[in-house]
Amino acid sequence: MIQEVIDILKILIFPGFFFFSLLGLIFEWIDRKFYARLQNRVGPLYTGPRGFFQPFADFVKLMAKEDVVPEGAEKPIFSSIPVFALALSLFAVLFLPVYGTQGILSFEGDIIVLMAIMTLFVVLVFLGGLSSASRYSEVGAERSILQLLGYEIPLVASVLGAAAITIHTGGSLSIKGIVEAQSGWWSILGIQALGFAIFLLAAQAELERVPFDIPEAETEIVAGWMTEYSGKKLALLRLARDIELAFLCGLGATLFLGGPQPVLPGILGAVVSTILFVVKSVIVLLILTAIRAAMSRLRIDQMVNFAWKYLMPLSILQLFLAVLLPHIITL
Amino acid sequence: MSTIIDIPVGPQHPALKEPINITCYVDGEQVIGAKLRLGYNHRGIEKAGEYQSYIQNLYIAERICGICGIVHAFSLAQATEDIIGKEIPRRADYIRVIGLELNRIHSHLLWLGVAAHEIGFDTLFMYVWRDREIVMDIIEEITGNRVTYALITIGGVRRDIPQERAEKLLRVMEALEERVKKYRRMCLEEKTIRMRCDGVGILRKEDAIALCAVGPTTRASGVSFDVRADDPHAAYDEIPFNVVTYDTCDVTARVLVRIDETLESINIIKEAIKKMPEGPIRVRLPRVVPAGEGIGRTEAPRGEVIHYVRANGTDKPFRWKVRSPTLANLLSIPVMLTSKGDYVVNIADVPITFASIDPCISCTDRAVRFIDVSTGKSWVWTFSQIKRMYWRR
Amino acid sequence: MPIFGEALRNAFQRRATLLYPFERRDVPQDYRGKLEIDYNLCIGCGLCVKDCPSSALELVQMPDGKRKPRYHIARCTFCAQCAESCPRKAIKMTPVYELATYNRRAEVVEPCGTSQ
Repeated sequence: MIQEVIDILKILIFPGFFFFSLLGLIFEWIDRKFYARLQNRVGPLYTGPRGFFQPFADFVKLMAKEDVVPEGAEKPIFSSIPVFALALSLFAVLFLPVYGTQGILSFEGDIIVLMAIMTLFVVLVFLGGLSSASRYSEVGAERSILQLLGYEIPLVASVLGAAAITIHTGGSLSIKGIVEAQSGWWSILGIQALGFAIFLLAAQAELERVPFDIPEAETEIVAGWMTEYSGKKLALLRLARDIELAFLCGLGATLFLGGPQPVLPGILGAVVSTILFVVKSVIVLLILTAIRAAMSRLRIDQMVNFAWKYLMPLSILQLFLAVLLPHIITL
Repeated sequence: MSTIIDIPVGPQHPALKEPINITCYVDGEQVIGAKLRLGYNHRGIEKAGEYQSYIQNLYIAERICGICGIVHAFSLAQATEDIIGKEIPRRADYIRVIGLELNRIHSHLLWLGVAAHEIGFDTLFMYVWRDREIVMDIIEEITGNRVTYALITIGGVRRDIPQERAEKLLRVMEALEERVKKYRRMCLEEKTIRMRCDGVGILRKEDAIALCAVGPTTRASGVSFDVRADDPHAAYDEIPFNVVTYDTCDVTARVLVRIDETLESINIIKEAIKKMPEGPIRVRLPRVVPAGEGIGRTEAPRGEVIHYVRANGTDKPFRWKVRSPTLANLLSIPVMLTSKGDYVVNIADVPITFASIDPCISCTDRAVRFIDVSTGKSWVWTFSQIKRMYWRR
Repeated sequence: MPIFGEALRNAFQRRATLLYPFERRDVPQDYRGKLEIDYNLCIGCGLCVKDCPSSALELVQMPDGKRKPRYHIARCTFCAQCAESCPRKAIKMTPVYELATYNRRAEVVEPCGTSQ
């Protein structure tokens, strides 16, 4: 009985829903501040110390706004997409290891489940865009699927390549195994540097940020698939997006930068591992923000071109090398 | 099976700074046609001008456009001085040139930032506008305001540029030249900018001439048409400068034309300060303008602007007509947005193509004919008719 | 990628943002802000009213028989044409620019009595 209560508390508070919602909002703040600094501005400043509560204030404001549903929209799908998106993001974060080598949910093959979840995000985007009866949303939805065609294989290949580091510890396709295999040697040092770069670009495309924010291009199709969402639905969608940001940064830190290595035993050790995990995720976040500041938006045909001409061959090459090299070295 | 959907860009759209409606007919991601609709910003300026004196009209002319205000005031003053027939002092000509070129610099920097924002490159947008602030500050020192300069009056200019201000202006121009050269290098070398702008928004030379495009739009298609060189006015006959043309006819060419023109303007200002003669800055002209017609034209940052004034011997103009450059450039938009053969236009190209002609819809709207779209009838209304039908107190 | 270097350099420079209204920049000399009318010098000729492009000045009859201008701040375009047209140089432009208000029509400067 007490174990179930602890599990529920773990899912709801730490390191589950509440912790990652908070982390998502904090990451949005870091993203906005760093992006502003790169542009010689200040970013949020007045809500809270150094604008710390700005993402939270945005969320509260959106919850209070009027919720307008377009007349021709498919109401059941339109209204449920934000809830599903939030649920999917929160489900995905349960797999991330925060204070130990395994997350709340952990089993053999869980990174395959994570790949499926990431594809489901885009399916939700597509449905959300199509169900709003608006030409801008339709174009945004079709672009999101086109973009998925481009980056999905590099994303999957880079993640599976990261799993290849477990070969010399027996081979495993679970996040737990990957984290344990990096106890002496972070996976990024070595062949996985290429995998990390590919993962960063593919994550940028998954999150729909510049240079890949094509489904949501502000100056071309207003807000793309999110155009018709307002009020509470938009608040939930943005929260889902922030949690997805925290999730992908955490995934990058786990797969490539070593994740939360258990350095000390006991409660102190858990706190230290959590802090390590957050710091590594922030490093990934800062790189993603720098990419966002330094590039302009690509066109959809240029993006798919780039993904299939460069990213995909490199990612498959990286997968091969990651799997073959350890065997060759041990020979 | 291809369904053609029409995507309305405007009248409210994040890509536009002013209201205009471009309906793009889209098949998948390809734009196969575009239709324009103007008139959202008509303010009745030409009519209002008939009820105000020439002096008052100068300030109304300045507010035709926020970005290129001084150009309209200058053209109106030139048209009126043309009717009166008196020469204005040489020093006033030089100060007018400095005002016009400062306006050109700030307008081109504004445009560069906006174009960067249209392709999603917010970082360049912020940098360019930060440097534009330097220009706005020196304009504020010289003319008294950042946007509406109120520098030009009929008969000369209203303010002089004393020696210390001229030296400060020279220092600011030196600093700005470094920054603009850096942006030029950035626009040429930054891969994502080139990917978005090369080969996009093509306006061939024959089309540019046939559609009467003006300004950097047509200079980027190889047509060397610049009012400052073709019809020297103010002090342009004494200051040497180059007319910048490129011949790749795409958005990159327009970007480069504008950046090079900014560098040319910096040179013109430096020359003008050096060569400025001493003397009075204005000559008193009568308030009552004798009957006659006058034309004032100059090269606005967007192209050729023409003002026509007909005077009838009173202190108010009988008719004042403004032809702003964007009206001439708007005709090229449907041509640039039609996919034909090898030339494919995507939806993503629409904002940057439209922004590359540097649209200033507030200058443009001077609609005169009403067309009923359902029946195709077209007619003209007089002011008293509109008053009778729609004026409610 | 020239912009990466530029961006990193900018990240460590001082911000370019002016935190208005906590930081204000000095207004240059000869800035055209709110009008200031010296009613002692004014002779009531009405040239300023004639030349104002937005009818921001109107002449009112004072109790001592003279006519003085009433200034509607909300209509003013700050062009300084009145300052130029005044034959006695009674109108000056001050550097006051923070004139935003909730009630436009209440922003009227009535002419006060002169010392004579």
